[in-house]
Amino acid sequence: MEFFTPATLDVLLVTLRVAGGATLLVTPFAIAAGWALARRDFRGKSIAETLVALPLVLPPTAIGYLLLSLFGRHGFLGERSLGFDPDLLFTWRAAVVASAVVAFPLAARTARAAFEGVDPRLEHMGATLGLARGRIFRTITLPLAGRGLAAAVALAFGRALGEFGATVIVAGNIPGRTQTLALAIFSDIQLGADEHALGLVGLTVVLAFVVLWTVERLLAPRRAA
Amino acid sequence: MNAASIEIRLSLPLSAFDLDVAIETRARSLGIFGASGSGKTSLLEAIAGWRPVRSGRIRFGDRLLLDTEGRTRTPIATRAVGYVPQDALLFPHWDVRRNVLAGAHASEAELARAAEVLEIGSLLDRSTATLSGGERSRVALARALCSRPEVLLLDEPFGALDLPLRRRILPYLLRTRDAYDLPTLFVSHDATEVQALCDVVAILDRGRVRAIGEPADVLHGHGMPARGADNVLSGRVASLAAGTASVALAPGVAVQVPAAGLEPGARAVFALGADEILVSTAPIAGISARNILAAEVESIEARGEDVVLRAVLGEAGTRVRVVVGVTQASTRELGLREGARVFLVFKTQSCRVLSTSV
Repeated sequence: MEFFTPATLDVLLVTLRVAGGATLLVTPFAIAAGWALARRDFRGKSIAETLVALPLVLPPTAIGYLLLSLFGRHGFLGERSLGFDPDLLFTWRAAVVASAVVAFPLAARTARAAFEGVDPRLEHMGATLGLARGRIFRTITLPLAGRGLAAAVALAFGRALGEFGATVIVAGNIPGRTQTLALAIFSDIQLGADEHALGLVGLTVVLAFVVLWTVERLLAPRRAA
Repeated sequence: MNAASIEIRLSLPLSAFDLDVAIETRARSLGIFGASGSGKTSLLEAIAGWRPVRSGRIRFGDRLLLDTEGRTRTPIATRAVGYVPQDALLFPHWDVRRNVLAGAHASEAELARAAEVLEIGSLLDRSTATLSGGERSRVALARALCSRPEVLLLDEPFGALDLPLRRRILPYLLRTRDAYDLPTLFVSHDATEVQALCDVVAILDRGRVRAIGEPADVLHGHGMPARGADNVLSGRVASLAAGTASVALAPGVAVQVPAAGLEPGARAVFALGADEILVSTAPIAGISARNILAAEVESIEARGEDVVLRAVLGEAGTRVRVVVGVTQASTRELGLREGARVFLVFKTQSCRVLSTSV
């Protein structure tokens, strides 16, 4: 049996598209949350910390169900309240949203650690030198947190690659449209196509390995100059 | 500048004690002297705005940085302070040039000036990771100066360096003081540095000011041990001859010091150990020491076996004072008492020049 059929390539493309989209979607939120948790003290911070971590421990199916209720016709972000049909559910975009939500805690926590690794006195020094807040963030904080933030982005991508539970609920398992690697492996096993499933598993392992290896490289202490 | 050019009243809680400081002085250059953990760094951070203050008032000349009663809290970015922290705190992702030009008001002209005064021109294209401790301090000072500050805050800028290196860097601070003439707060636990750089020094101990006054007076009373204390003296180089410079401390009071790096007319600052001065009650001749100066004993203070003798050089009213370490026995045998006329004897080489010409 040939492995790289157009259908397999579709699975790969959908996976990369969903994981890439989820990474783009989650990155600004993760950076903002990571920064706020690292640098700001506010009332209810411990609640916020817990909420950020929540998707990490919730069953992905529960997250999927919550998203389904949220974006469903009668949901808070559904057709009735928005006044138009967002046409999200059971599209690849729904898979993006589901993967982004599930990837958010990992990315936000890694971003937080990245910001915490920047000596706040360097930011104070920027202010003492007369720099505006935005410029301090852009020219001092971001570059110094850069590697950690890149690791956060890579982790988000890695987590999105393997998303299954929430995705299958909000996006279904539609070949060529919403069927990612994780979903295709499930289908193959259901259909008894064990050999093809094994091939997809191998592909997943390679992708995941590359992503994690990148993260490790980014987070490793830099060698002295 | 107002009558009192520096006013610092601050109250803020620290982990071990409260910092509670009230300083008002006409000094241009104020030293903060104290052991580590006495609150010196916290004080500077509060002035820079890095640390929240419970109540207080900070003013340098006409610039009011903080007045909690009048509800003035100048934001950090507009305080116009040049801050050099103990660890230099250079931006690690930029080279030296970008660091020095980091300030919002920095310019190439300012950079050129600071590079000349601090001799960092050859460092500009280096990465900060390759700098030595002394170079880092000078770059941090250049960065502060290039931000066009109206006040300088120097927190033991050479605290991490060993003594010989600190003494090599002191001239740069003296040059900075002469070239920029900025109101300066200089934190240090080195009595020689404080005497060389500051008009007035405040002794800080567990968050409180224990004493404030002229460095020579205050430090010999509080900060310095009887043994090993330094006198720091300054004057203009009157003449140079055979490796020796004659430095005029006051009319009629000239001291011979090693000429190293000094030029005629330059201001010379040098240290003279209190233990390196001999006291004679009679004029002395036929001795190799080049400095034999008439003086009057101003005070005698016993500290255990040691005696700290303060003397005024030359005619009364010159105000050039030195501290001399003697023993109880010699004080007794020589019959030293307040008002006695004596001669102070020391070698040229006992004078350690701290400045080089500007």
